[in-house]
Amino acid sequence: MRRRDLLLALAGAATLRAQRDPSYDRSVVKQTRIDLRNLGYPPEDVIPPDESAIRALAIAPDGAVYGATSGKRSHLFVLYPQHGYVQPLGVLPGVKTVHHSLVVSTQGDVFIGGSTGVDNGGAGYENYAGGHLLKYAHRNDEQTQISIGHPLAVADLGAPVPGDGIYSLAIDRKAGTIYGLTYPHGHFFSYDLSGSRFRTHGQVATERMPGEKFENEYAIGRALAIDDDGIVFTSGQGGRFYRLVPSMGALESLNLYLPAAPGREVYNRVDAWADSGGLLYGGTSDGYLFRLDPKTLRVENLGKPLDQARIRGLAFVGDTLYGAGGDDDEMARLFSYDRARCTYQILGMIDVNHRPYYAWQAYVVDALAAGPDGTVYVGQAERKSNLYLYYPESK
Amino acid sequence: MKTLAFGLLISAVTSIAQPRQVRVEAHVFPGLERMDGNWAALYAASDGKVYAGLAYHGGDGHLVYYDSNTGRMHDVGNLTELSGESALRRGPQSKIHAKFGEGKDGRIYFGTHAGLWWDYARFATKQGYPGAHWMAYDPKTSKVEDFGLGVPNEGVNTGAYDPQFNRIYGLSHPRGHFVYYDVAMRRAVDKGRINNWESICRTLGIDDRGYVYGCFGEGRVFRYDPRSDEIRELSVRVPIRPKGISLGRDYYKSETGWRTVVWDTQSRQFYGVDESATILFSFNPYEGVDGEMKRLGELSIPEFRGRRDVPYATLSLALGRDRKLYYGAAGREFDYGGSAAAAASHIMTYDLNTGRTDDLGEMVLADGRIVLGTNAADVGADGTIYFMGAIEVRPEKGKPVEAAGKVGDTWYRLALLTYRPNP
Repeated sequence: MRRRDLLLALAGAATLRAQRDPSYDRSVVKQTRIDLRNLGYPPEDVIPPDESAIRALAIAPDGAVYGATSGKRSHLFVLYPQHGYVQPLGVLPGVKTVHHSLVVSTQGDVFIGGSTGVDNGGAGYENYAGGHLLKYAHRNDEQTQISIGHPLAVADLGAPVPGDGIYSLAIDRKAGTIYGLTYPHGHFFSYDLSGSRFRTHGQVATERMPGEKFENEYAIGRALAIDDDGIVFTSGQGGRFYRLVPSMGALESLNLYLPAAPGREVYNRVDAWADSGGLLYGGTSDGYLFRLDPKTLRVENLGKPLDQARIRGLAFVGDTLYGAGGDDDEMARLFSYDRARCTYQILGMIDVNHRPYYAWQAYVVDALAAGPDGTVYVGQAERKSNLYLYYPESK
Repeated sequence: MKTLAFGLLISAVTSIAQPRQVRVEAHVFPGLERMDGNWAALYAASDGKVYAGLAYHGGDGHLVYYDSNTGRMHDVGNLTELSGESALRRGPQSKIHAKFGEGKDGRIYFGTHAGLWWDYARFATKQGYPGAHWMAYDPKTSKVEDFGLGVPNEGVNTGAYDPQFNRIYGLSHPRGHFVYYDVAMRRAVDKGRINNWESICRTLGIDDRGYVYGCFGEGRVFRYDPRSDEIRELSVRVPIRPKGISLGRDYYKSETGWRTVVWDTQSRQFYGVDESATILFSFNPYEGVDGEMKRLGELSIPEFRGRRDVPYATLSLALGRDRKLYYGAAGREFDYGGSAAAAASHIMTYDLNTGRTDDLGEMVLADGRIVLGTNAADVGADGTIYFMGAIEVRPEKGKPVEAAGKVGDTWYRLALLTYRPNP
């Protein structure tokens, strides 16, 4: 063996031990800043695998954290920060997926938009009757014993668009209106809480995105934002912004585009929103963060926090925006954006390593919300998922 | 009387000075001395060929076989080339890291794996590992069929083949997904997350009904049913030592499940060892609703019993034709070039008929060199016990050292080891 080859061999051998050694902890969120909660009380009273992917989180006015899972069945759960544990509330009847479709009204009623699956090329929608909007009025949740699998008592408010599932929801608490998008065809609808009426306003996409013959997705925004004046924003076909001014009633396709690498606009859509100080902050499927002034319709591209696709959740804690990114086949990472300093901080992969007691890394996340006390809740969206709690450093 | 006492004393001193030894024969891999590890990838086929996967971190692993009929070693090929990825200049196919299986068609089925993960910084990037390929080697044609990239961005960390359903099963690294390739349907399936990175189950067991078993959590067991395509978590628990991380043990070794299991066609149950203290157990999947676990003893070298520093269990467990379990027990924490120091491995046996455990002694070669560690075992049709592991290399003055690296201060290279139990 030549000397050079031998050295190479030795270098290889020396790294055998280093595949996953303590240095890995540099790649993940600081372990004193993160924890997780199982979705219930394992091993029995926990939302089971294949039903536990968290793709929707919402904070109630009283600070309770609601979450909905996706998989073979969907479960609704709640975490009261005072208690700190996740309490499964029951199975959502007829629902397999709740994608970004969970809102809570001023009264504390929880509204859930169901579907049979999303981002799957429209699979399962051939004979689908339509996803329903459900209402859960919580009563004495804290006193209820966990009973995995029992159906949750909900009011069925109907299906906004026959044949389509509900893809995302947002609520204007002041106006008492819920806004939504459907999957796979991108209908924009509203639901008037006082009048209990659905109304449709048009489609954000009418043609499938350019692609191979097996591809069958429309460029539907994955999230909705509502500004201080009650105007609703999302994205649609061609990577354009879409807007609904409620007083006008008709959906507008704006001559305004999500930030994208030139040429990729047609594949780009908004994945998540957060608002602060009258400005809307959004994350795109290509992984860009942007700021939209809803009054002037000025868009600023704030760049890409991660060398990854997707920004799948955003939430403000004070002046700091927290976000999670990464596509389904990547490693999810958490980042923050300081609004005042215009700087990013990459916080690392979302891993809880509290061995010897418990350890679990979230490779895919699809929901993020911040509680009133500044805790950032991160929903994992895999076969076996947990709710992660990130505690930001105080300034 | 004095003479007798003196004789006994001498005998005692001699036995202390010279630990019991067991002679094994080593077959090295000519031209592949740089290959640096082997984990689980060893299979004694029905035609007398013994297949092994040779790992090479940072480079291309190899599929090799030893023909026990001719005594010759054959290099089937470089795994990156066999995957058609040599021109990619991305993470190479560095390993077969899981068990092989033999189909009813005589082919040998397996999946490939990566070598280095760079703290996952290159995961799903253009520099990163493209993913594992499912493959079959046909001994009739001496050709490998590549079924394609079946597990994007991840390797097949753990695997097993079931000839009944003609499927190659696996657990992926790093995401711990249960995956399989249905050979007849030519379909790659990902059933989703099972394990966490630090505790990916290291052996999948398949019973004679085609159920696939693995471990997760703290000593828990799951079962995959190929008829319903469903995974169910069972109530049985693997007997493990209370969870913890020993000082000096590699960071990613979790001590929470079984290390390896073997299926016994006679008693129709599994025998296995746990990761932590090499606790030997039986698992009868036919007993009750979820099966029954029984602790049978320990297979670590006797001097480690009851100690905290029992070496991490190896993957070297096989059921001999003589109804004895053969286990390659590490003399100290062993993981090839990642080992801190060298010590001789032992062969431990457990007689299923009598329940007796025996330490056959340190594994040594005819020239006195020791076996530094093993991580795979299987049994040939003639009852020969095969191990894959690292043997000591003694540098010769004026000659280049043919070695993969060092275990502690001792040079090592890979070898197929044979042990023939008494006829």
